[in-house]
Amino acid sequence: MIEEKIPNPNGELIETEISMGTVHPAALEPYRVRFFVEDEIIQEAEITIGVNHRGVERIMEGLPVEKANALTEKICGICSNSHTWNSVLTAEKGLNIDIPERANYIRVIMGELERLHSHLLYLAHGCEVLGHETFSMRIFYIRETVMDLLHMIGGNRVQYGVSIIGGVRPRCELNEMRIQKVESGLDELEKNIVNFSERFTSDPIVNSRIEGVGYLPPKQARKLAVTGPSLRACGFNYDLRTEMPQYDDFDFNIISLDTCDVKANLLMRVLESFESIKIIRQAIKNLPKGPIADRNWEMFDCDFIKSYIEVPRGICYHSFALEDGRVRGSVIRTPSMANIAAMQYAAIGNHITDGQLCIVQCDPCFTCTDRAFEIIEL
Amino acid sequence: MSLKSYSRQRAIHVMLVYTGGCNGCDIEIVNAVLSPKIDIEQYKVFLTWNPREADVLVVTGPVTYHNKEPLLKIYNDIPDPKLVIAAGSCALMGGVYKNIYGDIPSEEIEGPVENIIPVDAKVPGCAVRPQDILAGLISVLPNLLNSD
Ligand code: SF4
Repeated sequence: MIEEKIPNPNGELIETEISMGTVHPAALEPYRVRFFVEDEIIQEAEITIGVNHRGVERIMEGLPVEKANALTEKICGICSNSHTWNSVLTAEKGLNIDIPERANYIRVIMGELERLHSHLLYLAHGCEVLGHETFSMRIFYIRETVMDLLHMIGGNRVQYGVSIIGGVRPRCELNEMRIQKVESGLDELEKNIVNFSERFTSDPIVNSRIEGVGYLPPKQARKLAVTGPSLRACGFNYDLRTEMPQYDDFDFNIISLDTCDVKANLLMRVLESFESIKIIRQAIKNLPKGPIADRNWEMFDCDFIKSYIEVPRGICYHSFALEDGRVRGSVIRTPSMANIAAMQYAAIGNHITDGQLCIVQCDPCFTCTDRAFEIIEL
Repeated sequence: MSLKSYSRQRAIHVMLVYTGGCNGCDIEIVNAVLSPKIDIEQYKVFLTWNPREADVLVVTGPVTYHNKEPLLKIYNDIPDPKLVIAAGSCALMGGVYKNIYGDIPSEEIEGPVENIIPVDAKVPGCAVRPQDILAGLISVLPNLLNSD
């Protein structure tokens, strides 16, 4: 077994370079990747981001905290709810606000629905890059069920963040009708995903394309601080949800697979979807009664507060200080930042045609990651 | 109707350019064109990634500083007649990235898209609804088909 891939050991110049980007069909988002190729085998890969930099942290500086929370939603169109959730948690931690039980349950339900939609999008994107349009279309179709549920609860198909400081928005209350819809939606979803995964795993052509491709050695994954499902697909049994107090009431398994390739990554998403469905079912069954928001809180100044949560792609970090109800020194770190290094390593040693697949296997989201900028000394 | 328009009518190619929004609009547009639920392909509208093949350019996002040049290049590469649709509030007016000011204003945003290339149709929403994209596209199609 390979322990570590060491790119280009002799420091020789690799002459053939294949570059893609910044606008490229296989990747929706603008980024630039350069593959250095010898005999059609990738020897080195380099991903450059920075085209998307909008400076959300900088716009957040000095905004009232409620406004800043709403702004964090626009960091990423895929895990929009998670960013709001984490930003609100940061503020709540600093202001010592206890939210009602029911609000927490609704947040968890939204969080898990978001994980479902993100994982299904990943599968659809993965299948498209594999060149299997039929599977991809099928998953887009399955995903619509989740989108409808998100639309029903949050009021929008994409930016549906539910959290506000002290609870959830009044519109996101779950009444009997909505609970029923969620239940029937989950049943349909589960049935569809089971059918899909049976079909997917028994397809010899697809399997031959994904087995052993994009191998990321566990030792290296550890070194690169890979997070989320990409880490779990390398055999590490680590999920921050087990340590989050928000998930204390729920019972779920952490999935980990140890083949470390594209297949493990794809299966990981399917298996995690079932766990998410399980969590939502529990939350709906035991939904506590009571208010959904606590509005009796006071604003005071506090020093830097940090908060970590597990979002669909890994661990997301938010931190800011509060001064006169305004946000100061906001820092946001998204999981894809760590996973970019993993994408580069996973591509090494593979055929050039699988290069894009190796990048997609780590669930890239460059939009949310584009927030670092270089400080040049004047 | 010329032969060219006649055949163009049967294969409208849409190209999507993404200029630094939050990803939400793009997913919805790809969803609109490809996914089995809305499926614009049944009206003979196809997604392409080659500017020389495209008839309609759909732009999302507020156009960040680094994205301005590529956008102009892509626009110039599309053969005439061409249409531009700006989709999402980011593309229409810069969205949250341009209009919310904290203490330090954001300087990266070059948009809205109108400042850079001429826009034929504007589709509002954050994120845009797939149905609206379809409606926006249909409303400007006559300009494309009657242009020669
Ligand atoms: S309009 Fe809204 S959803 Fe669309 S790219 Fe901008 S912030 Fe994202």
